[in-house]
Amino acid sequence: MRRWLLTASVVAICTASALAGYQHVRSNGDGWREIAWPFPRDAWPAGRAFRCATEACGGEVEVYVRPKIGFCNCDSGVADDDEVDRVADLDLMSERFVPLAPGGVIEVADMAGRLRSYDLRMQDGSRHTAVGIAVSKHCDLLVAVAKGRGEAGGVQRAALEFLKSIAMKKWMTAAIDGG
Amino acid sequence: MTGRLKLAKSVSVVLSTFSVILIAAGSGAHAQSEIIKSQVIGAPPEASNMKLVGSNDLQARSAYQPTIHHQGDRWIAYIGHHGGTDDIPDPVNPMTGKAEPNGTSIVDVTDPAHPKYLRHIPGQEGKYESGGAQMVRVCDGKQLPKGDKNAVYMLRTFGSEAHEIWNVADPANPSLITRIDGLKDTHKNWWECETGIAFLVSGAPDWRTRRMTQIYDLSDPAHPVKIRDFGLPGQEPGATGAVPTEVHGPISAGPQGNRVYFGYGTDKGGFVQIIDREKLLTGPKEPTPDNLRFPEISRMPMSAFNGAHTTFPMLKMPIAEFAKDKDGKERDIVMIVDEEILNECAEPRQMVWFADVTVENRPMVISSYTVPEASGAFCDRGGRFGSHSSNESMAPVYYKKMAFIAFFNAGVRALDIRDPYHPVEVGYFIPSITAATDKRCVKIDGKDRCKVAIQTNNVETDERGYIYAVDRANTGLHILELTGPARAVAGLPQ
Repeated sequence: MRRWLLTASVVAICTASALAGYQHVRSNGDGWREIAWPFPRDAWPAGRAFRCATEACGGEVEVYVRPKIGFCNCDSGVADDDEVDRVADLDLMSERFVPLAPGGVIEVADMAGRLRSYDLRMQDGSRHTAVGIAVSKHCDLLVAVAKGRGEAGGVQRAALEFLKSIAMKKWMTAAIDGG
Repeated sequence: MTGRLKLAKSVSVVLSTFSVILIAAGSGAHAQSEIIKSQVIGAPPEASNMKLVGSNDLQARSAYQPTIHHQGDRWIAYIGHHGGTDDIPDPVNPMTGKAEPNGTSIVDVTDPAHPKYLRHIPGQEGKYESGGAQMVRVCDGKQLPKGDKNAVYMLRTFGSEAHEIWNVADPANPSLITRIDGLKDTHKNWWECETGIAFLVSGAPDWRTRRMTQIYDLSDPAHPVKIRDFGLPGQEPGATGAVPTEVHGPISAGPQGNRVYFGYGTDKGGFVQIIDREKLLTGPKEPTPDNLRFPEISRMPMSAFNGAHTTFPMLKMPIAEFAKDKDGKERDIVMIVDEEILNECAEPRQMVWFADVTVENRPMVISSYTVPEASGAFCDRGGRFGSHSSNESMAPVYYKKMAFIAFFNAGVRALDIRDPYHPVEVGYFIPSITAATDKRCVKIDGKDRCKVAIQTNNVETDERGYIYAVDRANTGLHILELTGPARAVAGLPQ
């Protein structure tokens, strides 16, 4: 009985804590809200998806983010733009993407990696701007891809501001650290 | 460090205060009367129908590919190593007294009960997958079309940056012949000794994938001739869009079989690609999408959950069950072995698949094999649990009859594959851990939680029927033989 009560308490505390984090991200003041992960199951567990449709984001921007545990070169990390092409989940949206320019280094949630912008052509022929982000810690990757209709700089700015929010940073750190 | 261990029982009993012992149900070779939840130093190995003949600690270096070569009247084991560990980046070689980056161990296994360590050739500086010299293949000079008849050539990777060929005619005193460098992520090569054609898994700097294949004519090892670069459309330089899964390793059926079976992916998004060898070697070489597609016969996609580490062809296998059928009595089979990457079952199970590729444009998986997790509480023991690799010797003693699978903390598993539609485990051997066995950790709330378990990484066989298992967690080399009913499967004398 005592063990049952203890277990129930732990579950309740964890659930409340998780919900608090979830709701914080859902309803933050910058217009971002969490949406269902829109992609079919693939090799990696589903991540989290968010949409912002306010002017603060420069029009509609969606961000998809997830960890890929054990998918990184443990020593060199995300070393080049080809790595971003390979791992940043752009192909979830469309296999047809063309980089707009060489990428650059970035740090998200205290993890270093690279970011690159793309022209993304969807199956229906429509064109979007996408920003692929891949950062790593030891042998693990955290990838994010943002999709919008505005120019690349705007999509990138909106996505990075969101990913650098306290709630997202906390979640990404926990996702990589086995929390 | 050598030794002989005779087991009175086929199933060992480990009693330890650190072990959790449960009653298990089950049948077949994997039925164990006790479930050992953690290994302890000093406990005997766990075994069924396999026994330890001899061992060597390989200077406590993390081991990858073993290749056993019959060299004159001697049998020599060449064993590739991963890089060092955080704790010991460069283990000391007791033969030189110097700290040396992990490279290649050369061991005389003529007397398998008393293997004799001959030489360590240092590899590339670096830890884990970044250093060492993981891959080894060996060809006699007298077999290679343009080789020195007195030479024995060892092809090895040098860390991730090069391929090297050494003359190991005197295995205690090898000499470097040539080097192909400027690469990244070199890995699991294949070398046809009868032609000298080598399929070198490399990363050419301008390709978009970490690993692709460079094909060389190494018939004269002193003068390598590059034939072409090969990969999948989308991986070539200048391509855009999605990048297909990287290659892990090919196995060629040689000029007679005229096929090369490429395995892509390691633990995810895998597939098998069947290639026309002649078209690959003589077709247009410029890496355009059309030219890369030209030699392809078919691809068999696997679940996104699995990758193809090893693609071992067994062509024209007579299937007893189909003996009276007017067509399809013989089948071309490819055994696909996935590689488990993550510790403590943190990903979908990586296992073994058998594909019938007789109708090449419609290959199909026909059966699978995994070690039952509950038979050894393997998800709780620590380290990786799942398959990694198989023996790749095509010597008659086991070819198309038995396969040996390295299954990390579940040791080596012996399969009766005479009916590949219904593979059956007939034996196993899980080596004991030693003081040298390295820990394996998982992150719990940002902190490492570590356990020590055997991590049988790769396995090979020789023409005599000995089985060579090597450990990724620094436990060394274990030389095994079959016992009891497992010997009958291979037709070995009792």
